[in-house]
Amino acid sequence: MDKQNNYESYLKSTHRLGRIVSVITLVLLVGAPFAIGTLLGAGPDLGAVARGFLSVGLVWTVSSVVEFLVYTPMLGAGGSYLAFITGNLINMKIPCAMNAKELVDAKSGTAENEVIATLSIATSSLVTIVVLALGVVLLIPLQPVLQSPVLAPAFANVVPALFGAMAYKYYRKDPLLAMIPLCVMIVLFTLVPSLTSSTSFMIIPSGALAILLAWLKYRKAVKGEAGA
Amino acid sequence: MSVLEQLNSGGVYLICGAIVAFIAAVCVIFLVRAWRAGRALGMDVTRMKRAVTASATFSVLPSVGILLGVLALSGSLGVPWPWLRLSVIGALHYETQVADAAAEQLGVSLGSGQMTVQAFPTIALLMSICIMWGMILSTLFNKKYLHRLQQGGKTETRKSGGFGDKAMVAMFIGMVSAYIGSYVGGFISGNGLFTFSGSRTPLAVVAAAALAMAVFTYFSEKKRMAWLDNFSIAGSMLIGMLAAVLIGQ
Repeated sequence: MDKQNNYESYLKSTHRLGRIVSVITLVLLVGAPFAIGTLLGAGPDLGAVARGFLSVGLVWTVSSVVEFLVYTPMLGAGGSYLAFITGNLINMKIPCAMNAKELVDAKSGTAENEVIATLSIATSSLVTIVVLALGVVLLIPLQPVLQSPVLAPAFANVVPALFGAMAYKYYRKDPLLAMIPLCVMIVLFTLVPSLTSSTSFMIIPSGALAILLAWLKYRKAVKGEAGA
Repeated sequence: MSVLEQLNSGGVYLICGAIVAFIAAVCVIFLVRAWRAGRALGMDVTRMKRAVTASATFSVLPSVGILLGVLALSGSLGVPWPWLRLSVIGALHYETQVADAAAEQLGVSLGSGQMTVQAFPTIALLMSICIMWGMILSTLFNKKYLHRLQQGGKTETRKSGGFGDKAMVAMFIGMVSAYIGSYVGGFISGNGLFTFSGSRTPLAVVAAAALAMAVFTYFSEKKRMAWLDNFSIAGSMLIGMLAAVLIGQ
């Protein structure tokens, strides 16, 4: 009974602590651009931020809701507060916590799982922080090289590099579905080249078309299963 | 003083470093509390140690991959800001895309030559705002959500499963298609309708990065080198960026 009471009290204080540090982190992360702006003598353009949010922010908001619904039960209270603060969920925190749970055979939804997931996410976050801090110290002497004109084309093409990698990653999951929005976008950008300056806005019709096609395909599959 | 020199100044390092230090302290507090709670519950210390050790070793390689992401963004946004973003909350694919969308609103590009001191705070603010929803949802609903699941006797929810997963993939397919469509359209009609004289570099970079990703995936899936996954996105991006250097535009 004492153990149960202790655990209940631990969970209660974890929620309180998790909420407090999440709010502080939010304030720090939103405040940092203003602080840096003050230092550099330039403030953020809030109109541009609002326009940017309407174009890409909505996509990431939907993604955040899905991540919250799916990952919170896997990670428990402490693990999920920490994971949403420290990020890198899909590529690191989730597989790391799952690996730790499997190793010690902790069952989801148990007190043991709560403890193991928190230990795992906290350790993983600390390792990332240490590796990145050491890496940044090593990057400082390399800055003249990184800023050389020879490397300028590399940094000017960070975005195409990202979308090349992501194209292979996502197109292979459903190549037929991918072809339709890709072809529609190619036709649109070819016929109206001025759209290039509003590429991020074009994510909305392109994403909506892809989701609609995925929905139609899903409905067809569900009906097929029901009919079988 | 150049824009990048200002973005890499001591003051910016101090602001970003202080936030990273705060998050590190939060992690230590959660770690110690969970350890003590485990002891109080009578959990085997050896198993808890095993979970910590396994998580530490598991995280080293992905962290090096994330560091490569800091390297990729450092030429546009300086070192301290990508360091903060990728240490604390972000993920490489998110940061790059949102930073580019913000730059687009300001009429600049992430290329090192075009970044301005005036553009940076706007880009940084959009990067902060777009990805804060996980934390907000966690703050508002974590307790209620877990409580409800516990009462329902569920350990995991798959309410959004089924179509939810497919919608996520479709959303990313739509996003990638918009960008690749713009590179193809830019090449075909960038300098006048159907002149085929626009820049080929973004297309070459897309092709190089996609090819690199295919190679990473092949070795990861077919040759049982799953650890390569940790470097696949950042490694493919760096190979794509190398292609831009070789083309020299």
